[in-house]
Amino acid sequence: MKITVQRSGGIAALTREWSVKAVTPADKSRWEPLIAACPWDAIPGRDEDGGGNQPDRFMYSIRAGQHRATLPERAVTGPWRILVDNTRAAAEAARNKDGRR
Amino acid sequence: MYCSIIPPYILKRVAAQDAPQFSAAARAAKEALLHVKSVQAARAQPSPGLPPGVRHVKAGPPQRTVYDAQEAEILPGNVVRKEGEPATGDPAADEAYDGLGHTHRLYADVFGRNSIDAQGLPLDATVHFGKLYDNAFWDGSQMVFGDGDGEIFQRFTLSLSVIGHELAHGVTQHSAGLAYRNQAGAINESLSDVFGALVEQFVAQQTAAEASWLIGEGLFTSQVEGSALRSMKAPGTAYDDDVLGKDPQPDSMDSYVRTSADNGGVHINSGIPNRAFYLVASSLGGYAWDSPGRIWYDALTSGSLKADTTFRAFAKVTLASAEELFGAASKEHDAVKLAWETVKVKL
Repeated sequence: MKITVQRSGGIAALTREWSVKAVTPADKSRWEPLIAACPWDAIPGRDEDGGGNQPDRFMYSIRAGQHRATLPERAVTGPWRILVDNTRAAAEAARNKDGRR
Repeated sequence: MYCSIIPPYILKRVAAQDAPQFSAAARAAKEALLHVKSVQAARAQPSPGLPPGVRHVKAGPPQRTVYDAQEAEILPGNVVRKEGEPATGDPAADEAYDGLGHTHRLYADVFGRNSIDAQGLPLDATVHFGKLYDNAFWDGSQMVFGDGDGEIFQRFTLSLSVIGHELAHGVTQHSAGLAYRNQAGAINESLSDVFGALVEQFVAQQTAAEASWLIGEGLFTSQVEGSALRSMKAPGTAYDDDVLGKDPQPDSMDSYVRTSADNGGVHINSGIPNRAFYLVASSLGGYAWDSPGRIWYDALTSGSLKADTTFRAFAKVTLASAEELFGAASKEHDAVKLAWETVKVKL
């Protein structure tokens, strides 16, 4: 299973993407609870309260297996934030291990 | 001060009436048009004895407060500097304080606007937001600055154009209800770049020819191959880096980017109206906050911009502002028309 977090927008409008693959049973047991904790069926709409974005804030597109969600930065809280932060940290750790910037 | 509620284009139509029953109205309209032309000429000239662009309008002094979030993502944080207090010694806090003051002065001195809401709104900014947070934003009531990740970005208060950019979002919020999506969002972004650049140029007293027209110059670390976040003069050329890729901004409608990311590419397609403004300023010469700035500010505050304003509709509003301020036969009007034609936005 692949987990991908794409962050677009921000004043710089630089799109960054962090991905991890959960292949081994140990990986899956670590990531599946983080994914299951996210309310994939209760994503705020663009014009609903909390769903709109503020000028220059980030937009997040999150994919985990068959799940998809696009969220404004201020909606990335609770389990979403935990999933995003863990994905980013794991991807950056792997990148640093490879010696890439 | 002379004010006419009747726009010049209507006065012209009335003045052109030959029928006897309209003779009095036609004569009055001709007199009014002469007056409008004299006012337009006066508006085009800087006031004697004042710096270029400065107008005789009194706005209140700024009421600044800078907060420190101490790397948390909780706003506003702890107060570190209030209006009139001495420098803190923290570069981010002091740059934010100074940047708020410079931005307030541009709006007050050049456009006669009393702060962000035109009613003296206190200016609040939070620095040190989040850990290694590589962004700055306007949250609807205040500015927020991250310290950057140190790898790609330095602290965001380093750039005065970025501070001016964020406050301009507040001005747009209080002046026009532009949606933050697609072309309306790109106009919103472009207006922030325009007034952010004007703050920087006003402080440095640079002419259009002298200015860099870069947004966020100096924000990148030395590891990045790039000079700034965006170039208004040459969209698409601000950076070209092996990690970040190439600056994706188009410089005309020929290369308009359709995307769902970034709220429909609001920071990407803003390159098109950005270049239009640069072309107007470059064509007219002198200080960009003078005639070009007046035209764009008038368009922003005209009440003519709808939530879903397109590039074409915005271009028409700027052209109407140029005509209203300087006349249909003016070089300003011609410059605006040519600029939009150059970036392939149909009028």
